[in-house]
Amino acid sequence: MIDTIAYGLTIGGILYIISIGLSLTFGTMRIVNFAHALVYTVGAYVLVASLSLFNGHFIAASVVAVLAVIPLAYLIERYVIRRLYGESIDYAIIATYAVLLIGVDAIKWIWGAIPIPLSDPVGKAWNILGVELPLYRIIIIALSICVFFILELFFKYTIVGKIVVAGLEDKEAVRSLGIKVDRYFSLVFVIGSCLAALGGVLYAPITTVHPYMGFQVLLLCFAVVLVGGLGSMRGTFLSAFALGMVMAVTGRFWGPAAETMVFVVMAIVLIFKPIEV
Amino acid sequence: MLLSVERINVSYGRARVLSDVSIHVNEGEMVFIVGRNGAGKTTLLKTIAGFLSPEEGTIRFGSDKVNALGPEEMALKGVRYVFQDKRVFTKLTVRENIQLAAYAAGVSLSEAVDKIVQLYPPITRFLESKAGTLSGGQRQILLLGRALIGDPCLLLIDEPTEGLAAGIIEEVFKVLEMTRRKVSMLIVEQNLAVVRRLADRVYAMKEGHIVAEVNTPEDIQNQTLLEEFL
Repeated sequence: MIDTIAYGLTIGGILYIISIGLSLTFGTMRIVNFAHALVYTVGAYVLVASLSLFNGHFIAASVVAVLAVIPLAYLIERYVIRRLYGESIDYAIIATYAVLLIGVDAIKWIWGAIPIPLSDPVGKAWNILGVELPLYRIIIIALSICVFFILELFFKYTIVGKIVVAGLEDKEAVRSLGIKVDRYFSLVFVIGSCLAALGGVLYAPITTVHPYMGFQVLLLCFAVVLVGGLGSMRGTFLSAFALGMVMAVTGRFWGPAAETMVFVVMAIVLIFKPIEV
Repeated sequence: MLLSVERINVSYGRARVLSDVSIHVNEGEMVFIVGRNGAGKTTLLKTIAGFLSPEEGTIRFGSDKVNALGPEEMALKGVRYVFQDKRVFTKLTVRENIQLAAYAAGVSLSEAVDKIVQLYPPITRFLESKAGTLSGGQRQILLLGRALIGDPCLLLIDEPTEGLAAGIIEEVFKVLEMTRRKVSMLIVEQNLAVVRRLADRVYAMKEGHIVAEVNTPEDIQNQTLLEEFL
């Protein structure tokens, strides 16, 4: 059971890191951003490319992968997302899904469609109560908790964070003070995209890197965001770990139902707590 | 003349909300707008504040034409909009609410806090409380104080006493009275007692039009004249 819990927490940690950007994008800009999955996939592919450049040094390659998505995130925000402010949510879904499809084809063109396996970058295990747990997974769990606390401190103590918190609640009121809140939302978009790339980087050694990896995780992330509450940072954190555990526990007893159960939980939550868009 | 609105038309989609509206506000004046719900009062304030653009007509602030400016630019020019419904940032503390206004206006937080404490000394007790825990009256005073940071030229205030108990209205009234003549104000208000106590001039609106301008103290104090428009 300990390995199931560890697996659930690992998946939860990765889902949190990817989902927080999705949640903030909806909370600040009221945009459902399917292109988030593209940034996640690009992060994983840049990791693969950088590993050979840095002779397999995982940390250096990860830093490059996370930073490399900044120009991509900026372009998506500047030329797609920003044009969708205030438009119907349908337009955002269609436009960002189109970006995702174009991006996936570009990835196939550049790197090919064959899945690329990566080995565990740490390669060590800890023995906890007689169960051998990969140290890499424990690092992922710790890192996701660190990301949570860093974001909490960022939103609580920096002026940029306070502007974003205020903007999440009442964008018009922030604008009436003379603050160009969209600039701060753009910054949040880029931070969220970097975290999506970090999620891709961290998940790559657990799964395989392939052009469609973003599609699979995107639906899970939407479930996390909907269960946690759109734009809620703490809700996203709790929801990611709860759904990660749901996946792991279900998978232990009935593997094929692991992901389905996440959406069953999401449906139950939406019945009792419908979202307001 | 500080603000001059000349024959503006404003629509939401196909629905015309303001038609041929002209008003003005002089420096130091306290001007009120009265009218029934749906008369277009809030739309007029939002248009002046830069949230909506007039299809026709001109808005001048000082000598500048400001039709195309957004709310951020209008705020930096010294025009501050105080929303109705007491819209403070509930998840931030009172001090943080003030901090955002101070940041935008380019003044220090301590200076901004001092300014609001001068207007309403009891607020010192709530500085570290979440703004969401304040009463309606305290929220309104925080909003007025926040709008006054950075010495604006014109406040656009939407229904400042709406939904407040009589005792609290008196507190809000005191704050408005203290800032009188230091800053010009254009206020939407349904409470005629407040209007009669503070107004230099009053515009009455009906169905998107200005239907009257009441500009003598005798007419403003007239018990029946303004009530016709509510």
